[in-house]
Formats: sequence, structure tokens, C-alpha cells
Amino acid sequence: MTDGDYDYLIKLLALGDSGVGKTTFLYRYTDNKFNPKFITTVGIDFREKRVVYNNAGPGGTQGKSFKVHLQLWDTAGQERFRSLTTAFFRDAMGFLLMFDLTSQQSFLNVRNWMSQLQANAYCESPDIVLIGNKADLSDQREVNERQAKELADKYGIPYFETSAATGQNVEKSVDTLLDLIMKRMEQCVDKTQVPDAVNGGNSGKLDEAKAGGRKCAC
Amino acid sequence: MTQPSEMVNLSYLSETEKDFILQVLQRDEELRRAEDRRIRRLKNELLDIRRRGAKRGSQRYSDRTCARCQQNVGRLHPKANTCRSCNHLVCKDCRMETSMGGWKCNVCIKEAELKKATGDWFYDQRVNRFANRLGSDLVRISLRRKPPAPVNKRESTGQTLLELSQQADQKARRGQRSPQERAKAAGGVSGSPDLRDQRSDTESTEQMSLSSYKTDSKRSTPNLSRRNSSENLSASPDRRKLYGPSGAKVDTLTVPVRSRDHQHSDSEGEPRLGNRSAGSADESDAIFKKNPRRLLKPSDYSKSVIDLRPEEKPEEGNAMGDRSKSVPGLNAEMEEEDEDIDNLVEIHRLTTARSSLRSGASTSTLGSMMSIYSEAGDFGNVIVTGEIMFSMKYDGKTQILIVVVKECRNLAYGDDMKRRSNPYVKSYLLPDKSRQGKRKTTIKRNTTNPLYGETLQYIVPESILLSRTLQLSVWHHDRFGRNTFLGEVNVPLDSWNFDSMMDECLPLHGKGTADVGTYKGELIVSLKYIPPSKSTSGSERRKSKTDEGGELQVWIKEAKNLTAVKPGGTSDSFVKGYMLPIKSRSTKRKTPVMKKSLNPHYNHTFVYNGIKPEDLQTTCLELTVWDREPLSSNDFLGGVRLGPGTGFYNGQPVDWMDSTGEELSLWTKMRQYPGSWAEGSLQLRPTMAKAK
Repeated sequence: MTDGDYDYLIKLLALGDSGVGKTTFLYRYTDNKFNPKFITTVGIDFREKRVVYNNAGPGGTQGKSFKVHLQLWDTAGQERFRSLTTAFFRDAMGFLLMFDLTSQQSFLNVRNWMSQLQANAYCESPDIVLIGNKADLSDQREVNERQAKELADKYGIPYFETSAATGQNVEKSVDTLLDLIMKRMEQCVDKTQVPDAVNGGNSGKLDEAKAGGRKCAC
Repeated sequence: MTQPSEMVNLSYLSETEKDFILQVLQRDEELRRAEDRRIRRLKNELLDIRRRGAKRGSQRYSDRTCARCQQNVGRLHPKANTCRSCNHLVCKDCRMETSMGGWKCNVCIKEAELKKATGDWFYDQRVNRFANRLGSDLVRISLRRKPPAPVNKRESTGQTLLELSQQADQKARRGQRSPQERAKAAGGVSGSPDLRDQRSDTESTEQMSLSSYKTDSKRSTPNLSRRNSSENLSASPDRRKLYGPSGAKVDTLTVPVRSRDHQHSDSEGEPRLGNRSAGSADESDAIFKKNPRRLLKPSDYSKSVIDLRPEEKPEEGNAMGDRSKSVPGLNAEMEEEDEDIDNLVEIHRLTTARSSLRSGASTSTLGSMMSIYSEAGDFGNVIVTGEIMFSMKYDGKTQILIVVVKECRNLAYGDDMKRRSNPYVKSYLLPDKSRQGKRKTTIKRNTTNPLYGETLQYIVPESILLSRTLQLSVWHHDRFGRNTFLGEVNVPLDSWNFDSMMDECLPLHGKGTADVGTYKGELIVSLKYIPPSKSTSGSERRKSKTDEGGELQVWIKEAKNLTAVKPGGTSDSFVKGYMLPIKSRSTKRKTPVMKKSLNPHYNHTFVYNGIKPEDLQTTCLELTVWDREPLSSNDFLGGVRLGPGTGFYNGQPVDWMDSTGEELSLWTKMRQYPGSWAEGSLQLRPTMAKAK
């Protein structure tokens, strides 16, 4: 009964090809440990972590801090679980889209994952961070940073090179995603308001809303 | 767009894989349950803030007062001091800065916070996306009065899968059915939940009453049912019948099974919407097989010492005859077609006041007269002041609820002449107002700050506890005359944090204000506005008259936690809609009556044609929920007004343009995104302002 003691429940989901290191990444994030063994995920799993999120107040002042309960969904990268895992996309508020820096193929598949997300997430352009994992294996590297950065820029999402083995950028990438979600959340609730014109309808508003609708459809 | 739950086919998984996934889903279920509990708590907090002083259409208020604290704001500039979210004039003390810059009034701030904390910002968006496909079929289906299965906004894939697997489990365990059951299942074609929802408006009421007891299972509150679903207690229809008379309780403890779930569990994969009526016999059969009916165990009953609500009579006629008597002399005068809401609210108040008396009487215990007496007293003669301090503890093992009444402060004088009060505190676990459910403290003489430190105790199972509201009322004891009401607080227990042993200090309020702010349940509605240019192809809507103007679709999904006219009873309810300012037959729409449920799924769409985009700024959609009384006037159960909330029509101030909060934001959302569904869960107002 006591476990409802948090301010926000934020659901994230990690996706990407099989073997890119989603499970180890999340294990590093939640438990700060590394498991080099490859155990393929059966369908779907999740881990939890409680974090404190500091909201910047108006004008950059020190804002409030919130207790955030993270539910981190881990999905199987294997093709045969695809229909199951994509069904969980719609329940997540943000996504960790991962590929393996030592596998060109996993990087090429990022496009496919993106379109899967666009079709199955809660909205057309959800918050995503692109993560190139296994950065510690520099001698086996197949994807260079510039290439990945360009792709991320194309989608307008942040890019991180991480290593679950060393912990490099793991926390930072999740924090960035959380930050994006919290910002979007603020925007969503702030938008739900009546425009200044109290009297006299102005139907131009409808068009205006459509223009901004791409980013956030709330 | 395909529905995710449709795509999920788990047949390719091995047994161990299934087990593994199931474990994950069960962990998810635990997390979700904690989350549900948290959300309910938050929603009640908001309710409390609203109650403390929002301007309501029903109350007279000056233009120059703050909408929140009702203080006079004097010369404040109206434009600069209007909350840009709710358009109310708000004083400097009742506003807060938002993180995006600017400010909003504290109710709107709280609403925004709630939207974030409950995840509604997310679910509202998701609903727009995933209801789309359902939505486009909806109009066509709805015109044929065959609404699709209800969609729960918060439902997650994990939940769907878990429910599915539980049903499958059920099916396996109940592979062998008794002959009676099989007969029932066969007969279930005429009375299955699914068919019932598809029932045409014109179908005879006999059939409805035939089916009604079975259909109850479908409309339980998701929260409650979710809590119970893990236990999976099944029972044969015979057992159900056995406990049938105590309708209300059984209702809230059954597991809803959405027909959507069944469809994809049917591996044959019928054409989904093409020919539903053909498949529905199978479906209803399937529902019968799999529906994990959850019943109250007899042991629950015996432990409940306070649960003595008057039993609902299974026979329609009796219940109605009984109820109609409660409004003597009004049957003939009031016609349903032209009912005036405020009049009816008055009657409703009378009825509830009476019925609480009647409920005391109808339990026909020895103490019933006492009960009636204790309800009598002077109301409203005293201006309620002060607060009450108490703490609450619940022991799940012994099923004992302990309420410790600590003290009251600054009470009003019960006897104004002598300027003295002899206060005592009385408690009920509403809706039970019988004598058995009453507890009292001692009377403290001649004080307005009485110290009690007394314990009031109830033995009640947790499942029932969570559906109750603790009412603590303070009374002045008068040795010779009637006792005088000094104020009360109502604490819904479903959201109470029993883990905290903190002393709670709540301001007392009067009966009247309590009524204004009372929780009357919620109405879940989806709105879609289709602008004129984008009207869909004529083939589907050949009867449409919309050559100019757009179309407003109002999808009345369901209501939750309606208040029965008779305490402890259920309700045969329907929803009525008007497009204000026109309150006539031309804008009137009604849903079919949903029998015997306080959580009815109407799943019905009202369509308003010829509505131009600019009309949305000057009209207001009024939805009211009614309890159908065939032999007398219908009882008002609550209502909402969806509109721009400007307060003006044609430059004239009108009191029906009074949408606030969620009502307002839903309307705004619908206008912002034409062509897509905007869904909202709206608190029902206990009273509607009179339309001019």
C-alpha cells in the first residue's frame, strides 16, 4: 500500500535489435551492475527505479523536485516476439531506441524501429533518445559517431554513445529522456486553456492548433 | 490503424515463455494497482479544493468577487486578473505561477498538476490516436445502435494480456460445465451483455428486465474489478442468483469482460465489424464461458456487521411503486419531456432526504424510529464554523476501522440565545444511515472547543470499506428541544491513506454546501467535431442534412459511481443531451436506459448536424443523467455542461455558459483538434443552473 509514494509514474521502453544490449543497459541503469552474459529476453520484461527529478523553476530559478517512479520496459529484440513487443509501445511515454556500435546492421535497422514507433506509440512523434551502445568496444566499432549523429539530427532526437559495461552516459541518456517527457507534460497541461478572447468566436484558432499539432497532439 | 490488442497472438509462445511473460504482467498489475490507488487519492484532493469555493452556475455571486475565496476584489482590473484557464476573476492570493511563466488560479493549477500526476496528459493523447479507427466506424455503428465495446482510456497492453490469460485460465478450469450452465449459455443469446448493448432502442422492456441481472456483471468499476481480478473467484449462475437480491454489492465485485477481448481470443478471427450480429451468439456464449464472475463470499457477509442496507427487491414493480411514493402529488404534474432540472433537483433533494428516512424505516428494525429521530433536527439555522480533528486506522486482519475523534475547534453556538453549545460527534459509514451504522461520542457541555479523544469503531471488510464514505457530523445537544446541526465532513474512504496515522484536521461544512460539492459520480464522454469541408462521403450518412455546417459527435461512453436515488440501491439511468441555448426537441438526444447499474455503459453517440465552427463558441452541450421512473418523474442524478464557459450569449450574461475545469478543457480540446476524438472523464454536477 505504501508504494504509491511518488509524484509521477513515468513509463519508458527500450527497443532495438536483438543483442544490442537493452537488458544490460537497463540493468546498469537500475542496479548499476554489469552482466556480460547474453540472455535473450523472453518477450517483455520491466525494471523499476525511483529517481528525483528537479524541475527548473520559472526564470531558471531552483524549482521543485519530484519523486518519479520509472517503469522501464525491456523488450525482446527478436523478430518472433515482434507483435507482442510492439503492442507495448503504446503504453510508454518515452523511448530508448538502441543500436550496437559494433554492428552496422543494428544501426541500419534504426529506421525500421523509428517507423514502428511512429505507427504504434501514443502519438506520432513521441520523445525518443537514440543510443549507440557498447562504446567501450572501440576496436570492433562499425558505426562512426558522425553517421549516428546525423541520423539523430534528422529525426530531431538526442544521441548518446553509451556503455553498459563502463556505465558511460547510461544515466545521462535516461535523464535526458526523462527531461524531455517532463517538459512535454508541462506543455500539454499548459496548452489546455482557453485563448484570451472571451467573447466572440475566432475560428482561426482551429488552423493555428493544426500547425502546432505535429509536436504534441494533446 | 490496427488495434494493438488485436495483433497480439500468443499462440506461438511455448508454455514456459507464457509463464514467464505472465509473471512480468503480474508484476505490472501490482504496480498498476498501487498507481490506481494513488490516482484516486489525488482526484479526491482536487474535489476537495473545488468544493471549497469555486463559483458555480447554481450560486449567486457578485462580479467583483474572487472565484476561489469569494472575497471582494474591489478595483482589480478584470482583464489582468482573469485566470486564463478558467476565465474566472481571481484575487492575488488564489493564484500561483506556472512553470511556463504566467499564472493560473489555484484550482486550475491543481487540475494541471493532477493531469500530470495521473498521467492523463498521456492517456488523453493516446485515446485520440487509438480511438480513431474505432471512432470512424462508430458513427455508422451507432446509427444502427450497435456500439462497439467500451474502451478504457487507461487500459494498457499488459492489462489486456493479463485479463486474456486469466480468461483462458478460467476456460480451462471450467472445461466441464454443469447442465444448467450450458442451458443458461444457450439461453444467454437473448440476455448476454454483448447482445444487450446492441439492443435496439425500440426493444421491449420486458426483454431488458429479463436480461438485466446478468448484464450487471459488465458494468462494474474498473478499479474495483481490477483489484479483484487476481482472485478469480468464479461461480455458477445459480450461486449468483442466490445472492442476486443484494444487487449493488454484487455489481461492484464482478469483473468486466469487454467483448473486444473476446474477439481476438477467438482464433477463428471473424470479420471484425462486418457482420457482428452473426457472430454475437458465439460471442455471448464465449462470454458466458469465460466471464470470471467474482462473488462476495458468504463469509464476507457474516463479518459485516454494519452492512445493513435495505435490500433491493428483485421485482421491478415493487421497487418502482415504492419509489414513486416518495414524491407524493408530483407524479401527475411533472412530465419527463419538459422537466425543469432545478425543480427536479429540489425534488431530488426532498427524495433523498426522505429516502434516508425511509431507509431507516424499511430496515424495520426495532431501532428504526430512533434512527428517524436522530435524523431530525435543525439544519441550516446555524452558520457552520470550525473544524474537526480526527485520525483513522484500519486493521485488515481484524477488519476493524477505528476512528479517533480528537477534538473540534471554533464550533458555532448551537443555542444562539444563551451563546452555548453542547456538542457531540456522530458518525456513519455512508451510504449506510441505519441506526446500526451510527456511532456517537459523548456530549461535551458548554464549549465550542470540545476535546473528545474518543474511539468510534466499525467492523467492516476492506472490500466494503473502500466503497464507503465516513461522515462525521457535529451536533448541539439540546435537552428539551431538537438537536442542532453544527456541521459535518464527508471522507470518501477509497482514497484514504490508512497508512498514515496523522491527525486529520478538516473544516466543517454545512449540509447545503456539501450538497453542492458532493461527488455524484463521473461521466465519460468523447467529443469529435467534424468541420463542414471535411464531412465524410455521403454513402455512409445518406440521411444527413449537413449541406452547410459541420457535425458534432458526442459519444456517451459510460458513467461511474452514480448515486442511487435510494441509498444502497441501483439505478436505471439514461443520459439526455441538449445543445443550449436551444432546449427543445430539436436538440434533445437520449441514450437508451441502462438498467440496474451505478456504472452504466451507454456507449451511445449523439450526432448534432449543421454546426459551424464558430457556433462552438456560442453553444453549450448540456448532458444530464437521469434515473428512469416509469410511474413518476425521472430523478436527476447529475449533469455536466460542455462549452466555452464564457458566461455570455449574444453579449448577454447567461448562467448556462458556466463550464469550468475539465468540462471546459474537453470542449477546448475538441475544438483544437477537429476530426479526432477528445475524451474526458467529467465530474457530474449535483445541480444545474436554470437556463434562461
